[in-house]
Amino acid sequence: MELFKPDTGLIFWMFVAFAILFFCLWKWAWPVVIKGVESRADLIDKGVEYAQSAKAQLDNARAESDRQIAEARRQQAEILREADKMKTQIIDEAREAARVEARKVMDAAKQSIDQERKQAEESLRKEMGAMALAVADKVVRRQMADDAAQQRLVETLINEMDSKN
Amino acid sequence: MKRLLQIMMIAIAAFVVAPAAKAHNEGAEPNGAVGSTDPVATLNEQSVEEEAEAGELNPKEIIFEHLLDHYGWEVPFSHSLRIPLPIIVFDNDHRIHCFSSGRLDHEGETYTSGDATFEIAGEDSPYKGKVVQILPDGSVYKPFDISITKNVLALFITVILVMWAVCGVARWHKTQGHKAPRGITGVMETIITFVYDGVIKPTLKESTHKFAPYLLTVFFFILFMNLLGLIVVFPGGANLTGNIAVTLVLSICTFLATNLFGTKHYWKEIFWPDVPLWLKFPIPIMPVIEIFGALTKPAALTVRLFANMIGGHMIVIVLTLLIFIFAFMGPAVTGATTVVSILFSIFMLLIDVLVSFIQAYVFTMLSTIFIAFAQEKGEEHHKKEGDNHNEAATPTPAK
Repeated sequence: MELFKPDTGLIFWMFVAFAILFFCLWKWAWPVVIKGVESRADLIDKGVEYAQSAKAQLDNARAESDRQIAEARRQQAEILREADKMKTQIIDEAREAARVEARKVMDAAKQSIDQERKQAEESLRKEMGAMALAVADKVVRRQMADDAAQQRLVETLINEMDSKN
Repeated sequence: MKRLLQIMMIAIAAFVVAPAAKAHNEGAEPNGAVGSTDPVATLNEQSVEEEAEAGELNPKEIIFEHLLDHYGWEVPFSHSLRIPLPIIVFDNDHRIHCFSSGRLDHEGETYTSGDATFEIAGEDSPYKGKVVQILPDGSVYKPFDISITKNVLALFITVILVMWAVCGVARWHKTQGHKAPRGITGVMETIITFVYDGVIKPTLKESTHKFAPYLLTVFFFILFMNLLGLIVVFPGGANLTGNIAVTLVLSICTFLATNLFGTKHYWKEIFWPDVPLWLKFPIPIMPVIEIFGALTKPAALTVRLFANMIGGHMIVIVLTLLIFIFAFMGPAVTGATTVVSILFSIFMLLIDVLVSFIQAYVFTMLSTIFIAFAQEKGEEHHKKEGDNHNEAATPTPAK
């Protein structure tokens, strides 16, 4: 069969062509291609790994920041509450102090008023006494000028004493 | 839309081919040979001139004409026109002669170059279809023939294509760095990664870098030859991988790569394997078997690729020829055969595209496994024997 008889010419050319092809590709093409393909695969693997770790880091950072924000909120609320408490306390204290002070002032005022009144009463009493004496003096002087009137007064006074007894 | 186009194409093909086939056979009917007996047997008996005159259909002839090598390259749609290619022969005095195959295009034509006369051997010669020298005494001498035949030219075209494609990838890596490959580079890289990461690297392990260039070259060379063989017109059409010379050279290369780089352990396994002494000492039974094993591997590689490719081509040709064989049975049968044959031919060609890939892959895979066997280190083998048994079991040849 012709099909199974290898043709010498074709074998010769096949050797030549394949040798040339293999030499050229072995020398110039395959090392570059294999190195390129492998290093790209490495690069992609590393890139994926990096991206994954970056994502994980990002997730971590996000969780951390969320946590911190929550913490900050909590602290803020606490601070506000604290401030509020402090405010009421301060106000209460101030109120108390003011009340004490006011009482002191009022007491002092009352005292001085009392004193004033007492002095005024005293002086009034004195003045009234003096005035009454003066009036009595004048009255007595006029009444004593008239005997009849003196008589009547003595009688009246005696009557009064009688009625009292 | 696509389906409509397909149906239209088939219908057109049926209308064009069927009458042509009929005309082909009508011419033959006066001979009275076709209908009565087996056409092949009858035709072989007919003389050459009768055949030429009748435009006779000889399936066997046509099949082999398509499968075998030629000095010229057919022009599509014309049976007699051929692109002439150079014939290079060394005559009986070892002188080189170089002339165009156009000078020997017609049957019985002779060409005299210097004092040597050449012709293409006829049907009855043992060198049928080859260029022979007619010596002055009338005897026939088969010269050493390194003509650029159709197959050789196709070989060169394949070499150029492979070089262009692979160097394109290399250029991409040099100029574009690690950018994503596009166009032809992308296609090539997909296949390179498929073969390199899928077969070569896991099988060869640490000796990958030594053999990967050879294996990848073989893969793309076979793949491109296979695919070019499926194209019907000029740059393709040569049945290269279906030629035993081509597959033989490839498997010799694998054989050399296997044995020249074989480790000490590999040679020990051949000449002094771990078997009882009586199996290897007085009569070296095991060494003989091992040597036969080593020689069978390239033989199997040769025949596998050759037979697979030639089978695919043969089926497509036979399916097409069915149209012409059935042409004398009336228009209805002819039309039906035409449609069925063309559908099957298309189907077979698609299968052949798949087979082209598979065969290139299988050849590479088997070469890789053979080389990997010869790369085994002894100590390692003993150290993890269990592992090695598993590995040997996994990459079994698919076809």
